[in-house]
Amino acid sequence: MSPADSHAPLPAPAEPARRRGAFARTVRAELRLVLGRRRNVVLLIGLALVPLLLGVVLYVTQSGAFAGQGPGFIGRVTGNGLFLVIASLFLCLPFLLPLCIGIASGDAIAGEASAGTLRYLLVVPVGRGRLLVSKAIGALVFAACAVLAVALTGLVAGAALFGVGDVTLLSGTTVSVGDGLLRVAAVVVYVGLSMTGLVAVGLFFSTLTEVPVGAMAATVVVAIVSGVLDQLPQLSAIHGGLLTHHWLDFAEFLRLEPDPGVLVQGLAVQAAWLLVFGSLAWARFTTADVSS
Amino acid sequence: MSDDNAPAATGAPARRVHSSRARWAVPGIAAVAVAAAFGTPALIATASSSDAPDVTAAELVARVADAEPQALSGTAVYTARLGLPEIPLSDVSGADPINLLGGSSTMRVWTDGQDRSRVALLGATSEYSVVADGPEAWTYSSEDDAVVHYTLDPADRARYDELAQDASAGRAPDVAGDLPTPQEAAQQVLDLARQDATVAVGAPTTVAGRDAYPVVVTPTSETTLVARVVVSVDSETSTPLRVQVWSRDDADVPALELGFTDVTFAPPSDTALEFSAPPGASERDVVVPLPPEPTPEELADAEAAGAGDGALPPGTTVTGTGWDTVVETAGVDVVDLLAADPSSVADLPPGVQERLESQGAQDLYEEFVPQDGSGPVPELDASTLYEQLTTEVPQGRLLSSALLSVLVTDDGRVLAGAVPADVLIDRAG
Repeated sequence: MSPADSHAPLPAPAEPARRRGAFARTVRAELRLVLGRRRNVVLLIGLALVPLLLGVVLYVTQSGAFAGQGPGFIGRVTGNGLFLVIASLFLCLPFLLPLCIGIASGDAIAGEASAGTLRYLLVVPVGRGRLLVSKAIGALVFAACAVLAVALTGLVAGAALFGVGDVTLLSGTTVSVGDGLLRVAAVVVYVGLSMTGLVAVGLFFSTLTEVPVGAMAATVVVAIVSGVLDQLPQLSAIHGGLLTHHWLDFAEFLRLEPDPGVLVQGLAVQAAWLLVFGSLAWARFTTADVSS
Repeated sequence: MSDDNAPAATGAPARRVHSSRARWAVPGIAAVAVAAAFGTPALIATASSSDAPDVTAAELVARVADAEPQALSGTAVYTARLGLPEIPLSDVSGADPINLLGGSSTMRVWTDGQDRSRVALLGATSEYSVVADGPEAWTYSSEDDAVVHYTLDPADRARYDELAQDASAGRAPDVAGDLPTPQEAAQQVLDLARQDATVAVGAPTTVAGRDAYPVVVTPTSETTLVARVVVSVDSETSTPLRVQVWSRDDADVPALELGFTDVTFAPPSDTALEFSAPPGASERDVVVPLPPEPTPEELADAEAAGAGDGALPPGTTVTGTGWDTVVETAGVDVVDLLAADPSSVADLPPGVQERLESQGAQDLYEEFVPQDGSGPVPELDASTLYEQLTTEVPQGRLLSSALLSVLVTDDGRVLAGAVPADVLIDRAG
């Protein structure tokens, strides 16, 4: 990372010990900034409302004609509150989660640039590479919070409204509550890790522009276009590498014997997007002229 | 973004250009590394040739007949390119056997090699499971949380158990006569196959990462739709790992393919092989009759009538031989059969269920279910599917696919065979 420092507008490479402390401080400051920003807090609250809303709707209508119906896992929620977590994640995955994560990661660099604070940030005795890493950590932590916001309110609302019992898997096998909880936790972790590629894409767009809205929109568009391409049978050759293709593979944890191969494949694709777009963001950010 | 504001950049422009180029090379290298990491296994898989020793068709078939049934678990991919019309709503309905009519489906298979097995058809977020445990079987659809339980009635069950005991004690029922050795059985199978086709063993290939011998059966008939059938047999366990059926229309890809992509030869866990209906699921019981035990007189009659014909139910005739065989059944009202399907919207008594409480709902219903029955029906029912898959011909309705043609005539005959549609139409007269 040392060549990165030579391009920082400010000189004076500090001694390593101090710099390490500076990096930790930068990360802490970044986390405070990301999690304290009112817009982000509102986004998290909005996401947390999804399972609440879904749970209440299903609770009110559970004796009606549509009880036990619905795509994905919605039909199972009234029987077992644990499925509210999964149904909510399933509902949020195509659009709401990418939107929130796109907003947070697209804002990471471009937001500072548009507010004119990026040049001051570069004064901190931390190389640009590390600065980018701290921004990435901030965006990743926000992504994790977004998934957790859905999952935790889903768990609490589901348990309160419908109770928690033995979990019926997709194969019709019933497993104990403990096993079920573990599987749901694994689903949440997998969904969280599935967002890392999108965070990297957002970070890259964020280094390209000083207009945060542009970076946010571009990130969301990537997720949506990827979802559309995934629907075209003519492109089946490239489906496996698409950013969103493996997102629904979290269902693997609800099968009789989750196939590690499928899960590793999904995570490897995310790692690939993370690597390519992370390095693109790094190349752009460490070579760009920062004027604002 | 002018250089005036970036003091560090003004120092050594030449070095900076070089350095920035070097930096932009990093994502390039990353992309190449990713492409290599994802592309290499596929390349290796296609390039690797098996070095298994050559065998003859007779040896191979004998090995298969001799092989112990293997306990295994694995993932199989089924692909159908039958040239059928696109089925509406197949993406929406999740894991459903109807998906097997076209496109690619992934399945998980567990079997103990005896009479217990589970096959699960995977959807993105759904599963359709078929669990067989001796005389009992279940299907479970996660999409509508429905169990169908297939059993034998108690009398048949007792007979089944008796037969199973006999079999495990090594006592074969008298009807089977002398048990042939695997070599004899293989020879019989080969002789039978060679009447209408050539049988050869192709160059060893790799299926699911294992060496396999492809047995290629090429029909000698010129009219049949089937170009060849390739069964790839595992070189170690002699378990068939892949079946491919090639049609005459398409020489590049098989019309029908079912093969393991991943297989482990080890007894699966008990949880995979047992089934009990999950709480809250809707359950339906179906009692399947065991075919009645033939009396010695019937057996004698059947033998006198010659193999094949004696076993045919009344109203069924067979014309043609080998791969050109056409089966014709009379007195079947397909439309009636399909309309009796409970999911069919068409069988609602007119004017009874179709009158809804509110006018708005009524309008909506009529919007989606036109009264003439021609428009799109929101639910995929058997009658709609039948209409979608078949085409109108002067004699009736015709289903024409890459491997099979079926003609349902207006006078209640059904003709089916692996022959071009014209042949069926000629036969129907």
